[in-house]
Amino acid sequence: MQTSIPLLTVNDLSWAVANTSILKKINISIEQGQFVGLLGPNGAGKSSLLRCLYRFYKPSQGQIRLASQDIWQLSADDFAKQVAVVLQETPSQFNLSLYDVVSLGLTPHKRLFSATTNGDKQLILQAIKQVGLTEHTNQAFDSLSGGEKQRALIARAIVQKPQLLIMDEPTSHLDVKYQIQLMELAKSLGVTVLASFHDLNLAASLCDELLVIGHGEIVASGKPQQVITEKMLSDVFGVCAQVSTHPQSKAQPIPHVTYFYGYQSGELHATEK
Amino acid sequence: MPLKNNLLLPLSIVLSVLSIFAALSFGAAPTKFIDVYNSVIGHLFMQGNDSFVERLIWQLRLPRTLLAFLAGSGLAIAGLILQTVTRNPLADPYLFGISSGASFGVVCFITFTGISAGFSMSLAAFVGSMMTMLVLMFIAGRKRSSQVETMLLAGVALSFLFSALTSLLLYFSDPQAITAILFWTLGSFARAQWQALMLPALIILCCMALLMSFRRQLNAMLLGDESATTLGIPVQRFRLLMLLLSSLITALLVALCGGIGFVGLMIPHIVRFFVSQGTLTGLAMTALVGGAFMVWVDVLSRIVMSNQELPIGVITSAIGSVFFLSLLCFRKKVY
Repeated sequence: MQTSIPLLTVNDLSWAVANTSILKKINISIEQGQFVGLLGPNGAGKSSLLRCLYRFYKPSQGQIRLASQDIWQLSADDFAKQVAVVLQETPSQFNLSLYDVVSLGLTPHKRLFSATTNGDKQLILQAIKQVGLTEHTNQAFDSLSGGEKQRALIARAIVQKPQLLIMDEPTSHLDVKYQIQLMELAKSLGVTVLASFHDLNLAASLCDELLVIGHGEIVASGKPQQVITEKMLSDVFGVCAQVSTHPQSKAQPIPHVTYFYGYQSGELHATEK
Repeated sequence: MPLKNNLLLPLSIVLSVLSIFAALSFGAAPTKFIDVYNSVIGHLFMQGNDSFVERLIWQLRLPRTLLAFLAGSGLAIAGLILQTVTRNPLADPYLFGISSGASFGVVCFITFTGISAGFSMSLAAFVGSMMTMLVLMFIAGRKRSSQVETMLLAGVALSFLFSALTSLLLYFSDPQAITAILFWTLGSFARAQWQALMLPALIILCCMALLMSFRRQLNAMLLGDESATTLGIPVQRFRLLMLLLSSLITALLVALCGGIGFVGLMIPHIVRFFVSQGTLTGLAMTALVGGAFMVWVDVLSRIVMSNQELPIGVITSAIGSVFFLSLLCFRKKVY
């Protein structure tokens, strides 16, 4: 895979709203099969960047290519066949069942009058099983817990059969256990994933590569142990922290962040996060 | 798929067909169910006789009942679509000013021509409501962001605008025109005729088939504009198309039967209590339940008072709201 062209290439991407520049000259390249984490403080442009990548915003400048094709040259359907998206929070009115929501993954693959075949149904049930929600198949989507909803959306993405899965802070409302469960599930799918994270330790332990965005620019990128440094945490996130090595590290060292507290009082004492 | 879905759809089909047959035996002249059966089956297989009962059923009651069924299903589907694409449980075809546009068309027509009956009045109503919808679509089409809010607010504003214009014209009209417009707004199926039924039925059925084929896109809209975009749906254009199709259905029905409120709002919610609207079953059931409901409303309107018909709109709103409130209060949570 190393010699082939990257799955996603972003060249000099800029995006501005009403003359305010939100994203500035962003360059990214993501190889096939990688699990890439996007980090950055609130308002740095994480969501804006992802929205440009999944065609919700049209960039003011620059080019985004999926394999060798400009994403804006593709039809909306063709793009959706290759890129699936799991968003932070999904509002749902009315009573769609979990099954209905997962089956939406078929949408880009189906023509107007085409029916849902038995093969499609198997695919949907299999995806639901893969995310461990079989017993909730016919339950109303709204009645699921936050973690179950996000897993259901991952099942929808599985049905969509994408090459690239983009996730915008999918774990932001979840408990620690479900954060870990959800991201490990995403990693187990075997597709290329680009996900934004709030939890730096989770990102450091799961991702092959990390990108850090600050004030609309990519300020650091590379392997977790290269990116997660005390200097970066202080410069970009404005926190004082100690970076050590996680006890579960194997061949690659997994960086582990321990934050220091007491910024208001001036008294700093270390506590495990 | 839930198992109960498999039973609900056949059940609603059977109920709808039975409702239509049963409705044919009610009316000012009491008719036996077997006569109804004989005359309908006889006509379908071209061996009917020309008795009074048969003519009564075939020429008067059947077109009327079919129109009622069509109106009920059309309005229910249009309501479901609009609730879905605006993600607003209160949306219904009348919220967007279709009805007041139609009234305005009719009042203009009566005021300027003096004619207060016949097919041309339906045409005036149709022109009035489509004009309102085109204005609404023009306004909503210019907005890229917050299209839903624009659509709802502009719809309500247009509705008030056309009501005001209608009132203004009525204020200067003669009492006869006022009576005509009042009866027209309350709705009736009495004008149903075979010839006038075919074209609208065809258009409405085509629209409904098209709407059903868009079921995946419609479901995707429920998860929000952003999610829908990521599934490859051109959200803004799709919403306008759905608005156009459901307005077409509603405008045709308003032109044929007058303003019949509440069905479009209520039936989708009632069906939602029992089955997920995301499935084809949910859509089909909405159409069938809406149709069967309207057939019985029409029966009531004919038999509640002897020698007189009650306006349809009064009954739909009265029964509908009571039934709906009781469902809201007494229903146990299904899931």
